Amino acid sequence: MIEVVNAGRWTTIQDRGRPGRERFGIPPGGAADWFAAAAANRLVGNHPNAALLECTAMGASLRFDSDVHVAVTGARAAGIETWVPQVMARGATLAVGAIGPGLRTYVAVRGGIDVPVVLGSRSFCQRGAFGGGFGRPLAHGDRFAAGTLIDGDPLPTAWPAGHRLPMGSPWEVRVIGGPHTAGFDGRALQRLSAVACRVSPELDRMGMRLETPSLRLHGNEIITVPITAGAIQVTPSGELIVSLADHPTTGGYPVIATVITADLPLLAQARPGDTVRFREVDRAEADRAWRRLAGWLEMSG
Amino acid sequence: MWQIAAAGDRALLVTISSTIDPEVLGEVLALDRVLQDRRPQGLISTVTAYASLLCHYDPAVIDGARLAGEIRTFEGRLDATVPTGSVVDVPTRYDGPDLADLVAKTNLTTAAVIELHAGREYLVYCVGFAPGFTYCGALDSRLALPRRASPRARVPAGSVGIAGPQTGIYAVESPGGWNLIGRTDMRLFDQSADPPARFKPGDRLRFVPIA
Repeated sequence: MIEVVNAGRWTTIQDRGRPGRERFGIPPGGAADWFAAAAANRLVGNHPNAALLECTAMGASLRFDSDVHVAVTGARAAGIETWVPQVMARGATLAVGAIGPGLRTYVAVRGGIDVPVVLGSRSFCQRGAFGGGFGRPLAHGDRFAAGTLIDGDPLPTAWPAGHRLPMGSPWEVRVIGGPHTAGFDGRALQRLSAVACRVSPELDRMGMRLETPSLRLHGNEIITVPITAGAIQVTPSGELIVSLADHPTTGGYPVIATVITADLPLLAQARPGDTVRFREVDRAEADRAWRRLAGWLEMSG
Repeated sequence: MWQIAAAGDRALLVTISSTIDPEVLGEVLALDRVLQDRRPQGLISTVTAYASLLCHYDPAVIDGARLAGEIRTFEGRLDATVPTGSVVDVPTRYDGPDLADLVAKTNLTTAAVIELHAGREYLVYCVGFAPGFTYCGALDSRLALPRRASPRARVPAGSVGIAGPQTGIYAVESPGGWNLIGRTDMRLFDQSADPPARFKPGDRLRFVPIA
């Protein structure tokens, strides 16, 4: 068993989420930094569907009652080596400290975290208060077991430094225009790309607000539409709301642009006060960027 | 003419119309059905709202522009019959925290407000925002009220609200800006049920006042 000795700031159990159930109002969920989570699973030889811990801002401490391989990835955390497989001895405690630069650190345990599958996933869904084993973020004293979602041996060495994403502000994030770019003035997306957006303290797994005082965007009103992760909605007052993994499935504000899948991990790591800069690219570049990350995940090991 | 636009690098948003109307919903749902039946290669899943439909696809299997072309072939060829079905009763206690405010702003009596809200059938236009949240229309125009200036941090599950031309039911506790006029004990979202949401777009419901 694995026991939570210290739950950290906001630690949840996540996997690849439950996409495909948005029609019931259920967010896709899953690890906000999907790339770091996938790498953590690869490092310990897990199946890609294995669940792991997502720590936020301040990490968790875990005690293990048997020898087990673990890997910590994502943002650096005080007191612990990241991006390298390691063995926790029976009785040992893994302490993930203060996190940063970046916001989220992932802890994978060989075999995955074995909690019940709810609606196709082990991920905690905050809005529905279900999944993630406990229907809430982890708390002191929670216990869970490692599962059997194994897909090979743990990797023998650290994850190549050249196969990680740059971690730190300013975050350079690529977007594709749409779906409502046409409802803004012709230069709106260009103007958006020219400013530094500041991440507001109003930030969770559902979304991120960005402050852009000098930028006054105004889009045509729309009827509520389904939205995707990475959608950049513009409110009537010109504020930007960017959806993250646990985003509401529909939105009532026009979406000027959408962050490409390959850069969602960067967005997920931005902290309050950090700077985000957007750059418009085409679908071909978005596909190349995604294939690059997918290639890193395949190559390593 | 439908607008089909990229919603990122692995989804397309098909906008059928810019109005809230049963026939538009009929067309959205007809497109949804035909896509479920024909399953164009690379299409992963769809999500509908009032007048639009989102298609998640796998760009490794199909190019976004090609999928848009395939979707476009259905334009003007759908049987967009307005959905009809049995009407589900939603027992509702009209004791919401914004009911008095609504009464004051509409110059109606409490009884008249309840009668106007409960006195008609509603079409479910969308399930979205939060798990099971059920958007219904159309509200009697005499009850139209903008959203609250500052949203509540916690709206209890089962709350019945109104906003603009819509009425809706919060299925799980969440923040919310709608004016709350009542509450139902009906469970609208159950993660262990299949399907997990009690209502789907195209369903019909009626609010039945209870003491």
